[in-house]
Amino acid sequence: MNPRILRPESLADACALLSQDEDALVYGGGTALQILRKQGILSASSFVDISGIPGLNNLHHTGNELLVGPMVSIRRMETDPVVRESVPIASAAYAKVANPRVRNTATVGGNIAHGDYRLDPPVALLVLGATIKATSTAGTRAIPIDKFFIDFQLTALNRGEIVTSIEIPISNDVVASTFVKFSSLSANDWPSASAAAAIVARDGEAQILRLALGALAPTPVMTAVDITGMREAQATEAAVESAMLIMDPLPDVRGGVEYKRNLGRIAVENAVRNLWRDRQSV
Amino acid sequence: MNLTLNINGTVHSVYCAEGDLLLDVLRRLGFTSVREGCGVGACGSCTVLVDGHSVSSCLTLASRCSGTEIRTSEGLGKDNPVVRAFVDEGALQCGYCIPGFVMMATELLSENPHPNEKEIADHLEGNICRCGTYREIVKAVLLASSSASN
Repeated sequence: MNPRILRPESLADACALLSQDEDALVYGGGTALQILRKQGILSASSFVDISGIPGLNNLHHTGNELLVGPMVSIRRMETDPVVRESVPIASAAYAKVANPRVRNTATVGGNIAHGDYRLDPPVALLVLGATIKATSTAGTRAIPIDKFFIDFQLTALNRGEIVTSIEIPISNDVVASTFVKFSSLSANDWPSASAAAAIVARDGEAQILRLALGALAPTPVMTAVDITGMREAQATEAAVESAMLIMDPLPDVRGGVEYKRNLGRIAVENAVRNLWRDRQSV
Repeated sequence: MNLTLNINGTVHSVYCAEGDLLLDVLRRLGFTSVREGCGVGACGSCTVLVDGHSVSSCLTLASRCSGTEIRTSEGLGKDNPVVRAFVDEGALQCGYCIPGFVMMATELLSENPHPNEKEIADHLEGNICRCGTYREIVKAVLLASSSASN
């Protein structure tokens, strides 16, 4: 039975449709939903297509935040000069999603709502401390990204909620940032391991290394290490030590547990090396 | 439902189910250069341009394309510089995947008229040629790029 396609023209109508039918799903770009439907592992009574709702594909730079609408395409996050300039690590991670053609269709909201542990953008959003706004008939709430991924393929979104915005802080305190991705099957496949990292200045001399890992645990995971006064080798050791504690890889066709842990360690080492290079070139 | 689609500059009226995919609708209308390969957006054989942007028609609802301009390789014609370059470089063997490569190359050249080899490889990374004519395909895109500027 194919899902019905419903086309609300306002956010309120979309929320009402979702509240009336617990088997309805929000349809953004549809790239993931169509694949899951074809694989027969998705049962939805209807798809609530939100592409006709005005304003959901807006991108605003407020000075200290980038406000990204859920229907902004992944490709726009990759190529838009405002995104590249203000949050380069996010742009770099969005640029690694699937291939250019899928990035044209797939959306920022659908990507995060998919909740897969291997997604590229969440690791960058974790490092940057983004906030997810979700709206339902009960109103709008803000979910910090570090509270968004609950468990394997499970997010903090409730039934009936639509991702209506991702708010990405833009901070001058980010001294350097990087995204590293390793795939074992093909270059544009899901990663076997990914790492996003940033050095953030705090209170003058203090420096914090924020580090998020993808594909290395049942959800994207994040840690932070105080690297104040450390040299590259010490910071690398501290980052690897902290990263190994939060790794809990799932063995699959892309590699076994030990393989992924090793790849994860190398991703962290490469990330710290990139950060040091970027920091010194400032 | 009745759907009106603008395909290669001609308006087509077609009856389809609301969940029908663009790939299936285009093939029913006779645009058989649009081909199913993987069915999950990973191989590029079903690539078409919607308002100038490449999409996997195997993942795209036809009903969402009402009011857009859809382009398939049939609409390019044999004198199109990209099509000519693929022919002149012999950039095909069985040819099944080639319309998808041609449409991706068309999008690339409209965004970046003079790509280098890495930019070509990056843009075509989601298209698969099982005959392995990648070398010739990259040369064809370079040729199309230079012939368009002459």
